[in-house]
Amino acid sequence: MDYEEGKGLRLKQVCIRPDGVEKVTGHLKFLTDLSFPNMLFAKILRSEYPHANIVSISTEKAEELPGVRAVITSKDVLGLNGFGLIFPDQPVLCKDKVRFVGDAVAAVAAETEEIAEAALQLIEVEYEPLPVVDDPEQAMLPSSPQLHPNGNILHQASYQSGNVEEAFQSCDCIVEETYQLPRQMHAYMETEGGVFVPEKDGTLTVYAGTQHGYKDRYQLARILNMPEEDIRVVSSPLGGSFGGKDELNIQPYGALLALKTGFPVKIHQTRRESVRSGIKRHPMKIKMKTGAKKNGKIIAHQVRIIADTGAYATLGPAVLDFAVEHATGPYMIPNIQVEGYSVFTNNGVAGEFRGFGGNQVTFALEGQIDRLAVKLGMSPLELRQKNLRQAHDPGPVGQKIAPTDGAQQVLKQISQSKLLNSCRKQDHNGLIKTGVGVAITMHGGGLGYGRLDPAGGRISLNEEGKIEIAFGFEEFGQGLLAVIEQIAIRAIGCSREDLHIVIGDTYKVPRSGSSTASRGTSMVWQAIQRMKAPFQNSLLERASQCTDVPVSQLKIGEKGVWHQDELLISYKELAKQTIDKPLIIETRFDFPATPCSIPGGHFLYSFAACAVKVEVDLATGFVRVKHLEQAVAAGPVIFPQGYLGQIEGGSVMALGYTLTEEALIEKGTYVTENFDSYLIPTIKDVPLSIDITAIEELCEEDEYGPRGVGEIGTVAVAPAIAMAIYDATGIWVNKLPVSREEIVNKMMETEMSKWLTSK
Amino acid sequence: MADKQMSSSIKLPSEERMRMSIFVNGKKKELEIHPAARLVDILREQLHLTGTKISCGIGRCGACSVIMNGRLVNACLVRAYQANEKEIVTIEGLAEKGLHPIQQAFLEEGGFQCGYCTPGMIMAVKAILDQYPNPTSQQIVDGLSGNLCRCTGYSGIIRAVQKLAEKETSRLDSKC
Repeated sequence: MDYEEGKGLRLKQVCIRPDGVEKVTGHLKFLTDLSFPNMLFAKILRSEYPHANIVSISTEKAEELPGVRAVITSKDVLGLNGFGLIFPDQPVLCKDKVRFVGDAVAAVAAETEEIAEAALQLIEVEYEPLPVVDDPEQAMLPSSPQLHPNGNILHQASYQSGNVEEAFQSCDCIVEETYQLPRQMHAYMETEGGVFVPEKDGTLTVYAGTQHGYKDRYQLARILNMPEEDIRVVSSPLGGSFGGKDELNIQPYGALLALKTGFPVKIHQTRRESVRSGIKRHPMKIKMKTGAKKNGKIIAHQVRIIADTGAYATLGPAVLDFAVEHATGPYMIPNIQVEGYSVFTNNGVAGEFRGFGGNQVTFALEGQIDRLAVKLGMSPLELRQKNLRQAHDPGPVGQKIAPTDGAQQVLKQISQSKLLNSCRKQDHNGLIKTGVGVAITMHGGGLGYGRLDPAGGRISLNEEGKIEIAFGFEEFGQGLLAVIEQIAIRAIGCSREDLHIVIGDTYKVPRSGSSTASRGTSMVWQAIQRMKAPFQNSLLERASQCTDVPVSQLKIGEKGVWHQDELLISYKELAKQTIDKPLIIETRFDFPATPCSIPGGHFLYSFAACAVKVEVDLATGFVRVKHLEQAVAAGPVIFPQGYLGQIEGGSVMALGYTLTEEALIEKGTYVTENFDSYLIPTIKDVPLSIDITAIEELCEEDEYGPRGVGEIGTVAVAPAIAMAIYDATGIWVNKLPVSREEIVNKMMETEMSKWLTSK
Repeated sequence: MADKQMSSSIKLPSEERMRMSIFVNGKKKELEIHPAARLVDILREQLHLTGTKISCGIGRCGACSVIMNGRLVNACLVRAYQANEKEIVTIEGLAEKGLHPIQQAFLEEGGFQCGYCTPGMIMAVKAILDQYPNPTSQQIVDGLSGNLCRCTGYSGIIRAVQKLAEKETSRLDSKC
């Protein structure tokens, strides 16, 4: 083996994830692996056009096909014909209009998947195609066809401080650039699906992955016109999500068909169906003008963001708010003007995606800093240092935040990277050039000011004598189960065998809020801190009552309560003796938000700095990331394997975002429909070494514990690669994914002009 | 409308069936099946071996990787008639008892997160190690280049395979 020996975060102790054995043996049943007796299979008919009026829908022929059990259209929606995490503006089943190619028009349940598929083709839908709105800037014009009653602007957000126009007058150096970011697909390996089971008592059980089981239950209750309590949502485990499964997708159809037929109904989308119907990362066009004094002090920063939110709202407004908030990142700039627009088009639907608008705006912001540094003749690290926030500075939109020195910590750490001082190699014929780049970011956790962001958890001693820890979160790979286990063991003092962890089932878990926004680890830690003393005290009191040994002499340990190094009473025995008075401790609280009234404004931030070394092949434009390092400041590490995995995996997902990934849409229709044209990184595309350093120290007064790291690893990678490409070639990348053609063409131009002038 | 023209030419799913026998994880299975049924569906739906996953359906992601007569195949691209009389090993048949060393290495090194690509990935590692007990890094990346993982960035997978190769090296060294 010739992998380079790295430094940084390494796995010191082996700790096997609670869900590990089931996963490596293939025994874990994902929800799309389930089957039930007499189960039917469903298929969803999606729109043929990106924008059209529906003239008529005829389902008769499909209904007559042997083996078809039910066909549903808009008239079969029992309650509200709409869904959406913020506004329910996306029809479950379109009645008179379709706005994107993933809009559902009808759905079929049949005895086999093949019959359901054949039945879809027998459904006759007459459309009247309408002009396709595929450019958000065009969509903002009054002359554009309007896609929704309130027009094409879904959301507008802004932030202002000082006076940029005046400040630009006194700048010695100004950089102005427009950045374009692509429509990235989550590309979770398990496509959307699950089974919907009508129960004998009239309730409905939904086995379908999501990132917030209670929210799915709420949305489904509206659609089905059923009390929430009559719907059980089993929402975990998932084969990946990355934000993509937080919004409803197939759930309404499975649920409606199950209720209509009275039989369990399974849906498992094909990859093409998933691409067509699923949400994506917002494509954004970001214009930035940034000005500095000769000494490197940045004094003015003007930003305009246009986000293509596609056909429906989902979390579009929140993503835009996040981008606006993070448009100045960790830099202290006195004069700022940021305005953002989230605009409806017929281009799919954009929504939640790991990084949540931060990735796009950080690419632009860090691009500005690097361009300024070059123009000022200053080192990019030095320029960053000159403008970087200090521990007690306010947040990026002037709001009060938890003091944090993360920005300084990560910049200092990455400055010591050996990558940055490594020699520039050039191959013998001069066609392969090497470059390095660095970028940093700060990223808010939780949903932010003004948004319901409740958390909570439960610890109990269950009837079997297990210490049961329950959270309303989901496991989609991030390692939440391991995090719960590690925090619980350390806080309570029991062993892993004493625990029974319950998540992802609305019949069994308390409300914990969503498994999103890097909030899971944070909320588990905070919940257990709140519950541990009452739980321990109550447990010891009970042990004392059962054994007549005073509490002061008792200790919680492996298998039970101990007295003078001996197991006095097992948890099992304790549970048995106190079965009439079960021990249950619950907590409810909110994710901490800034007290300043800024919609979506955050309070807890994490930080990352990324350094990369790239090789650029000038003949082909091929960019290879050879090495990648990240320094992350997000508080204490709970589960090292999971932390490492989040940053490594996030880095590679961002590498794909930078170099190859784009869900291409032409005139409202997807061109990339599967992994043959949508290219996520393979093992051949990743750096030989990824070195992660975790900075665990928090400010002294910080009482908020570990922050989640699900998103932070994805944010600073793209701008670091772009800088490294500039370092190697002198070409500034302002559009992702990096165009190989553009690199080749620009190199040709440069070489040509060199040749011409030398003549 | 194009829809209407199409509907007249649509044929119902064929009722044609063939008898096939297939050896899955050492056990002989006799099936009545459509000759063009996909091996992945036979495994998942007929035999209830859901460890083998389906993701892209076009042979690009490797989530459905199984070993057929000693070679790694994408079960979404193999049809019933091609699998007839063949020996198939799936993730469920990898370890005779307990965990296979590959599975143990994946556990220890974080070679998986969501676990959906994992069965296919582990079968691909098995195919590499069957061919090259002490693979070079090139052989590892070549051998795994058909298996996509969206969670790990492959780092943990590489660590796991390195660990296995190191064990193999020290085993060989101790023999000398």
